[in-house]
Amino acid sequence: MSGIGTGYDLYPTTFSPDGRIFQVEYAHKAVENSSTAIGLCCKDGVVFGIEKIILSKMLVEGTNRRVFSVGEHIGIATAGLTADGRRIVQNARQEAKNYENFTSDIIPIHVLTERLSIYVQVFTLYNYIRPFGCSLMIGSYDEEKGPSLYCIEPDSVALGFYGCAIGKGKQEAKTEISKLKLSEMTCKDAVKEIAKILIKTVHDETKEKEMELEMSWICKETKGKHKLVPKKLIEEAVEWVKGQENEED
Amino acid sequence: MSSTGGYDRHITIFSPEGRLYQVEYAFKAIRLAGVTTIGVRGSDSVCVVTQKKVTDKLIVPSTVTSMFRITNTIGCCLTGRRSDMLLIVQRLRHVAQEFEFKYGFVIPVSYLSQRIGDLSQLRTQYAFQRPAALSIVLFGIDEEYGPQLFRCDPAGYQVGYKALCTGQKEQEGTNSLEKKIKQKSDLTTKETIELAISTLQRVLNTDFKPDEIEVSLVTTENPKFKVLQDLEVEEILNEIAENEF
Repeated sequence: MSGIGTGYDLYPTTFSPDGRIFQVEYAHKAVENSSTAIGLCCKDGVVFGIEKIILSKMLVEGTNRRVFSVGEHIGIATAGLTADGRRIVQNARQEAKNYENFTSDIIPIHVLTERLSIYVQVFTLYNYIRPFGCSLMIGSYDEEKGPSLYCIEPDSVALGFYGCAIGKGKQEAKTEISKLKLSEMTCKDAVKEIAKILIKTVHDETKEKEMELEMSWICKETKGKHKLVPKKLIEEAVEWVKGQENEED
Repeated sequence: MSSTGGYDRHITIFSPEGRLYQVEYAFKAIRLAGVTTIGVRGSDSVCVVTQKKVTDKLIVPSTVTSMFRITNTIGCCLTGRRSDMLLIVQRLRHVAQEFEFKYGFVIPVSYLSQRIGDLSQLRTQYAFQRPAALSIVLFGIDEEYGPQLFRCDPAGYQVGYKALCTGQKEQEGTNSLEKKIKQKSDLTTKETIELAISTLQRVLNTDFKPDEIEVSLVTTENPKFKVLQDLEVEEILNEIAENEF
């Protein structure tokens, strides 16, 4: 099947003769152009890791965030058009607030995911707005239910994952992730594994500039709150990855 | 055949031959999902079976579902583009709840099907909206009319069925079901389930494992909508396998 939808790819309201909606597929391509983000659902929490390419030495580190908190207990990591991601997160925060006002309880992750999925879907229905060009990973940790990780794609399909990767290096990252024993892994180990995948497997030193690792987690240690992984742990993880490389040489 | 400048293929306007190409393409999009659904209505039960395709072992299987509860006693199985599913489910739930609030009794499946059919038709008339690429199968036990099985398609056409097959293998499934229903159309609960699952297995030429299909069964004894658990499905699959020998 040809990937070119000439003539049928102008609006999300047009089906191609074989039943595809090309605008939504092109939105997926926008995600594939961005740098990789990984989410792992471990034994005691969820960890996100994002490969951030340093575009210029003038940029202040940590100011171009791609992880966001919704409430205190849910984290969202984005890949694709960052501005689109921020819009969805804004909507997520509004949903969380409304839920809390209405029920006096914090919004469960599966409810938030369903609402965001419907929000994203609405943008694929009309010809006067374009679909979102970003994928989101949503993670949360609950004392009773344990960790949960969901991923919403530009076509609004939201599925639960044990481990997920979005962005340019998604395929290679997913291959590495499926080798890991996630149900036995702790979040601290996951930080190291994610660093390894992003630095070694996904990031191409010859083609791209330097990268910065942005990591965040929601786990037993943070008492179910979404926080950035302490800088020290990230540095240790990077050291560990370099150590692994030296061992292999 | 004259060309109108090609827009008849792009938005829902009539082609010179009187066809709505966009609606036809929406039907193709249903088949693209590669899933087949079968529903059978017995004399006091309805059974709907659909394929469950989990493409990646990193995906949590319980989050991949095509069966949704609309009210306590009405269920809905959606076949086609997964991204259109949640919005349609929300609409169905809203229509059902509004009816119950207004009139004080549970919406009949036939009426719910009509309402969603009308809403689907609207989307084939407005140029700024596209049809939902979904085959909507509604089923439940109605207080007055007993077991009900309805299907609504992207064109807004909706009708009740004794047995239906929709999705990728629609034609083969329908032919197979027609033969069986002609022989016997008032089926017991057991016969209903077996017909639904064995037809799906025959049409797809596979023997299913319990985690490859989703089965929903409602009976007059037990009208509450539920999706059967893996263990229950396994029991039924084993029985079917034994009967075939």
